[in-house]
Amino acid sequence: MATPSFSRRRFLAMAGGAALLPSALLGAAAEVVSKDRRRMLQVNGYAIDAETPLDALTSFITPNDLFFVRHHWNPMYPDAKRWVLVVDGEVETPVALTLADLKRLPRAEATCVLQCAGNGRGLFRPPIPGVQWRYGAVGNARWTGARLKDVFAKAGLKATGRHLHTFGSDKPPEKVPPFHRSLEMEKALEDAIIAWEMNGAPLPALHGAPARLVVPGWAGDHWMKWLTRISPQPEAQKGFYMETAYRFPAKPGEPGQPVPPEETRPLTELFVKSNFTEAPARVKAGTAATLRGFALSGTPDIARVEISDDGGDTWKEAALDPRHEPYAWRLWSFRWEPKSEGKATLHARATDGSGSVQPKEAVWNPSGYLHNAWQAVEIEVTA
Amino acid sequence: MRVARSGSALIAAAVLAAALLLGGAPSSLARTAKKKHGGKPPAAADFDVKLPVLGTRLAEFPPGQGKAAADLACLQCHSASMAAQQRLTDKQWAKEIDKMIGWGAAVPADQKDSLLAYLVANFGPDNDRFEPTVTRPVGR
Repeated sequence: MATPSFSRRRFLAMAGGAALLPSALLGAAAEVVSKDRRRMLQVNGYAIDAETPLDALTSFITPNDLFFVRHHWNPMYPDAKRWVLVVDGEVETPVALTLADLKRLPRAEATCVLQCAGNGRGLFRPPIPGVQWRYGAVGNARWTGARLKDVFAKAGLKATGRHLHTFGSDKPPEKVPPFHRSLEMEKALEDAIIAWEMNGAPLPALHGAPARLVVPGWAGDHWMKWLTRISPQPEAQKGFYMETAYRFPAKPGEPGQPVPPEETRPLTELFVKSNFTEAPARVKAGTAATLRGFALSGTPDIARVEISDDGGDTWKEAALDPRHEPYAWRLWSFRWEPKSEGKATLHARATDGSGSVQPKEAVWNPSGYLHNAWQAVEIEVTA
Repeated sequence: MRVARSGSALIAAAVLAAALLLGGAPSSLARTAKKKHGGKPPAAADFDVKLPVLGTRLAEFPPGQGKAAADLACLQCHSASMAAQQRLTDKQWAKEIDKMIGWGAAVPADQKDSLLAYLVANFGPDNDRFEPTVTRPVGR
């Protein structure tokens, strides 16, 4: 780690003061994912897609080498030495910034969740075509770079630049449309970062080196990797990855039924959800079991996580880990005392700062985005 | 029909996938693996080393009429695992085939029906054979 930044210090102060400093300071280093859990679940050979097993997502900071990997196609990695970021479009002074130029801007940090829009697609019924992600296309990392706000202070943003068009170096094969995207400038200026570090290390190639976009609270489709050009424009970007993909029904429809494009809107904030990362397969009656997990939302912050062992009739609050940032995930733990022998099913649900409660069922949508139904774990209670 | 995953095919496929991944340049993943193993058998206690390297091609399409069409149409851009993990109806597969043809997939007109039949037969709604491949963490 380099010099702690303002945001890091503020985070530590927020995290509860001196008593918590040792664990907070040690951060990732103190929380090592045990060796027998350090593995990935690869779902595609090429282009590479791999998710993290839930039992390896036990640390507040997800290590870079255990962070899920998602590609649309085989990437073309930029040469960091020759790399420049072109800033053009609705700006007073179009510029081409080197990594060194960007590093001269004020250093910005955010610890936040990156989740693939399609995480959980494989859990929807009826099934939906696409990468059949289950639970692990998600992680929580500390991203370091420059704020878009500071980049545009340099280039001089015009009022007409209301949508930030983003481009990466990857090129699709054949006639596949390019992965060109845009997001509202309001969000970009609020808290988006052009990041070149992930958890204190140079951004790995698989995660978008030399620099990628970080859009706290928003789904991964906005987090352009191998960033080469950002261009404010009066209108949103067009094309397949804006007009067809990464859209969500404005109103829930019937599972399995198509939704006309005009009844969809672009995906933005992540939906509130929680998952189990640790739960024993069996526990002896009369003893307690500790369950652990994480909870996240695109709306700050996680207010509570609750556990039910009766199918959702009654809930008990889990203990929240003190570490938090608005768009980071929140680790939780719960001490469960089984009432009777036999097979028990436990569910977790999270509630965020706006009062949104994780639903029992996810909203089925034609592309299988943002699955956030209650996850169930089964525990056998023995005599 | 099981998706084949023999050891030697896996290693050959890993090299192929790595080459594809990096546009023909020597794979850093493959290099790392080679350096790490150094020609010696991996230590039995090392959980990571026992696992394949991320980038493995993972799977071959199962044999059957239509396999050649699937190889031709799909493998240019995806490993077979992309299709092997799907559980789609014939209507959904037909839509996917048309989408991919529009994007440049090579599907000769006289093979389109057998391709559809092959995909539905192997990766239809009750396909429960796909399991992700457990690999090492990325970049170790």
